[in-house]
Amino acid sequence: MPFRSAFSQLFTQDTIIAWVVFGLVIVAMTGAMGYSWYRGRKGMGPLKAAEANRLELGYAGALIGMVVFLVISSFAANAKDYPDPPKPAVTVTVTGYQWCWRFHYEGTPVTSSGQCQGLRDLPVLEVPIGQPVRLNVTATDVLHAVWVPQWRFKLYAYPGHVNSITITIPRAGRWIARCAQLCGVYHYEMDFWLRAVPPATFQRFLRTGRP
Amino acid sequence: MTAPVKVVPFPSPAEEERDGLPQWLLTTDHKRIGILTIGTALFLFFLNGALALTMRAQLAQPNLHILSPQAYLQFMTQHGTGMIALTITPLAIGLGVYLVPLQVGAPRMAAPRAALLGYWLYVFGSLALIWGFVTPTGGSQDGWWGYTPLSSGAYSQGEGMSLWTAGTFLAAVGMLLMSATMLWTALRMRAPHVTLPRMPVFTWTEIVTCLMVLSGFPSLLLGLGIVAASRVDPARFTTNGWNIAYQNLFWFYGHPVVYVMFFPFVGCVAESLATFTGRRFFGYKGTVLSLLVFAAGSMSVWGHHLFASGQNVNDYFSLTSIFLTIPAGVEYFGFLGTLWGGRFRYTTSMLFALAFIPQFLIGGLTGILVANPAIDYHVNNSYFILGHFHYTLFAGSVFGFFAGFYLWFPKATGIMLNERLGKLHFLLLTIGANTAFIPMFFLGYDGMPRWMATYPAGAGFTTLSLISSIGAGIIGLGMCVFALNLYESARAKVPAGPNPWLAHTLEWSTSSPPPRFNFNLTYPVIRVHSYAPLLNLRERALAAQQERREA
Repeated sequence: MPFRSAFSQLFTQDTIIAWVVFGLVIVAMTGAMGYSWYRGRKGMGPLKAAEANRLELGYAGALIGMVVFLVISSFAANAKDYPDPPKPAVTVTVTGYQWCWRFHYEGTPVTSSGQCQGLRDLPVLEVPIGQPVRLNVTATDVLHAVWVPQWRFKLYAYPGHVNSITITIPRAGRWIARCAQLCGVYHYEMDFWLRAVPPATFQRFLRTGRP
Repeated sequence: MTAPVKVVPFPSPAEEERDGLPQWLLTTDHKRIGILTIGTALFLFFLNGALALTMRAQLAQPNLHILSPQAYLQFMTQHGTGMIALTITPLAIGLGVYLVPLQVGAPRMAAPRAALLGYWLYVFGSLALIWGFVTPTGGSQDGWWGYTPLSSGAYSQGEGMSLWTAGTFLAAVGMLLMSATMLWTALRMRAPHVTLPRMPVFTWTEIVTCLMVLSGFPSLLLGLGIVAASRVDPARFTTNGWNIAYQNLFWFYGHPVVYVMFFPFVGCVAESLATFTGRRFFGYKGTVLSLLVFAAGSMSVWGHHLFASGQNVNDYFSLTSIFLTIPAGVEYFGFLGTLWGGRFRYTTSMLFALAFIPQFLIGGLTGILVANPAIDYHVNNSYFILGHFHYTLFAGSVFGFFAGFYLWFPKATGIMLNERLGKLHFLLLTIGANTAFIPMFFLGYDGMPRWMATYPAGAGFTTLSLISSIGAGIIGLGMCVFALNLYESARAKVPAGPNPWLAHTLEWSTSSPPPRFNFNLTYPVIRVHSYAPLLNLRERALAAQQERREA
């Protein structure tokens, strides 16, 4: 199961359902406007009936059916998304603080961070391609949140609490990560890079501490 | 021996009805309390809207610094808290305080002095928040959630955050008082023949709103207690438990309040649609039942704000949140059923009500999307969420409010609003809202977080942000037309008469504006046989006419 593929499946499915519902309502409204115009031309007054119990019950039944389907797909996606995490190849403690990030690679002396003055010299979180990486996310002062938009995952960082997520990045590249929790004045530039490198390069990084 | 009875001089209705300042500010007339509340909230709507326009100006281009990051966060917090706690909630409650006694045939509201106290607490709460801006460190910068520990004394020094805490507290207590008295009025002071199933849909929406206020708002008061204590002694509130407790308490208020800012406007739309199609509101029983189910369900969805917190029961809150689709869908069926077979009159009120239906639907359908944890892990705290709730609150609730405002303004003032300016107002608001809020979905999906004071040039946010800012400007223009309409109509003074729209509910059987005690010998409470009593009368008169013709 590729990492976070549940997102795009569910998002596509529910967006299609949303468009269909939206289309039906628009059709019904347009139809009602046309019907009103027609009744006006024929000199008919407004309809008197104010309920149609059987129709309403049938409609409610259909709604319930749709909701059952939506709930099941939500549960399924959630279970598929975060199954029992594979044994991580490497564990990184990701610490947010006003207004920067620090990465400590567990079992090694390597800790990296950045200057975080404006958007130059951003911290870089190095991960090996294709290997499960456990992120232990925490904070030292106020709430922060790790968000890598391109990989569709987000996790809040609480002071005094560790949240964990296991990510597997399948290909080489560099993606921006942003803080997604209001954390004070410089929240808007509290970014870092997530970089996936071949495992050999990653091992060299762990030995030397330099990317 | 019994003590002599002290006679309290009671002002005569004529004395109370005078238009002086003390008569208004110390009134026990629910109509005046309602008008004061709506007037204050409308004033704050312009103010908090102006803050939003300033923020949109800053976001129109990357790396702009019209506002410092500090000032941006202050504007943003005031815009958020100001719109939610001080504008749309009071509009929702204020409409009910004005209309519910009239709709149930009551001469006055229960405990009017408590309601008046509620109004004043709301005013002083609003003043406290605004006062923050003239303190040396400025207003609160911590967003309308006021999450600890950012809002504690350790990370938010200065009076701004303290004034925010006090002001939000006062306004919440004010809304509690107004809701409690309104609920009391609706349940215990109806005219004898106005039974529960004969109450108009609008009154029902206000009843469920009051129930949610009474259930949800006390939790905010508790949460604000944590904030206040952590401002005094931040060292005691460093453990994770306090933070997560605050977040749960806050959202136990923060999600029901979303529906507090929704249902009364559903009621406005329902009454407007029924009036301007000439039909009884369709599926009354189903709608009332769904309102009650919705209100009950709304108390168990708060955790969907914490899907990405790692400290939440995500599946449970996904279930309860998606479940709300059922009552919401039933209400939509009522709207569409009312439209079907009606004879439309495209007044300004009707246009706002019609636009409410698809626009709120966008907010609702994207709401179902974000009720899925698997989707929310990506879009949570992003512009996608901003798009979602601005569709519900602005393109939905505010449109519903204007449907109600244009409908009931003649009743409350006795004069008509200018329809041509009204339609221009509607047009600009519709174009503006959709231009402003559609891009937000894409911005969020592309990775733009909330609360950004500015953004870098290469991030890919520029074009969409600019479009959104242009839309905001069009909304601003539309609101200027609205202000012009108020001024122009007050000048033209076109008299309204008791029932200018041929509406169906009891308040339209009395004069415009209604007398001090709502009904009198000239305008008695008519016999109510259904939730559309005036339509009954008209239909009976028509039938009698036809019979005579045939005979």
